[in-house]
Amino acid sequence: MDTSNPAVFVNAELLRMHVGRRVRAVIQVLRSDGGGTVVGKSTDEQQLVIKGHPPGPLSTFVEVIGIADSNQSIRAEIWTNFGDTLDTASYNQVCQLANGDYKHLFI
Amino acid sequence: MFSSSQFDSAAAFTGGGGGGGFNYSQSTQSTDPLPTSAKSRDTQPMVPVTVKQIIGASQSTDDKSNFLIDDALVSNVKLVGMAFDKAERVTDVSFVIDDGTGHIGCNRWVNEAVDRKEVEGLSDGMFVRIHGHLKGFQGKKQVLVFAIRPVTDYNEIANHFLECIYAHSCNARLQNGVSAPASSSSTLGTPSGYQTATSQFSQDYNLDGLNNIDKMVIEYLERPSSTGQEKGVHRNEIATQLKIPMEKILEAIESLESEGMIYSTIDEYHYKSTSSG
Repeated sequence: MDTSNPAVFVNAELLRMHVGRRVRAVIQVLRSDGGGTVVGKSTDEQQLVIKGHPPGPLSTFVEVIGIADSNQSIRAEIWTNFGDTLDTASYNQVCQLANGDYKHLFI
Repeated sequence: MFSSSQFDSAAAFTGGGGGGGFNYSQSTQSTDPLPTSAKSRDTQPMVPVTVKQIIGASQSTDDKSNFLIDDALVSNVKLVGMAFDKAERVTDVSFVIDDGTGHIGCNRWVNEAVDRKEVEGLSDGMFVRIHGHLKGFQGKKQVLVFAIRPVTDYNEIANHFLECIYAHSCNARLQNGVSAPASSSSTLGTPSGYQTATSQFSQDYNLDGLNNIDKMVIEYLERPSSTGQEKGVHRNEIATQLKIPMEKILEAIESLESEGMIYSTIDEYHYKSTSSG
């Protein structure tokens, strides 16, 4: 597991600013086909495609850390089940703050 | 009065830290019952931090081998991140914590069975919360852990980062607030409440000669949300967002425009920063 590079907190809107970089995002799983993609809803209510194979069954909310390979998809390296209840609003706010006024604390 | 209301809210922040205790020693209006002084050692507050803040922390000037984060003495920290490279030895357990902003080595000394029980449930890739003491060891920073537990409710992660942001902005606001009582007796003749005669701002922003409101306005206009708009930001929006009376905004706009830092766009009410992007 290589996490030697910092990963930026993103939602769907911020993802486009970090294409090609390491990002982390929480998604609500909408559907997962066995073919290596999972479609989820980001914390700002937009659809994201997560590529990769999850290590096991997924809970409703999952955090993925990986490389953003387009405006709407992430190639996930690390999957973490965040359970079935999560306050997406506060996570979304963290994304906005971490990319905005308080960027220097994070990246 | 603008300056006193700002200062009161800074005092409210120090009191409202709750169990975390954001009672930074520079505060002169701490409502915390503990006597806080810059040199108090036994009652060090525990600060929520990101690993990046730790990595960027500078050594403090006295020999206590403490660190400065945001110019505040920090020795005890709270971290939330993923644990890796767990290595269990006879007397201690070490691992690396990665919270997405960087990674740092941590060490947990195991003296009793209860300590070992605390760590044996941990595995690589698990999110954990760590409370520990920040220390330098052979030039590298390390956290000496005195409490670690796995994260069960993942709202804790967002919450921790929000706490880090809060503590950081509280600390920064207190540092600005320290100059306020000194300034109320000085008469520099500019209309704003805060006088930034200290060099704190100039080293951060390189905006010598501008007062506090100007800085807030230009800062607002330099945010991505403002620079992203072609037509700029309406001055009413600046006034409502920053909660500053319109006449002060107008003064700030005038002075920034004469400095060449902002320009009006579609009409005289919309402004954009010249250094956007």
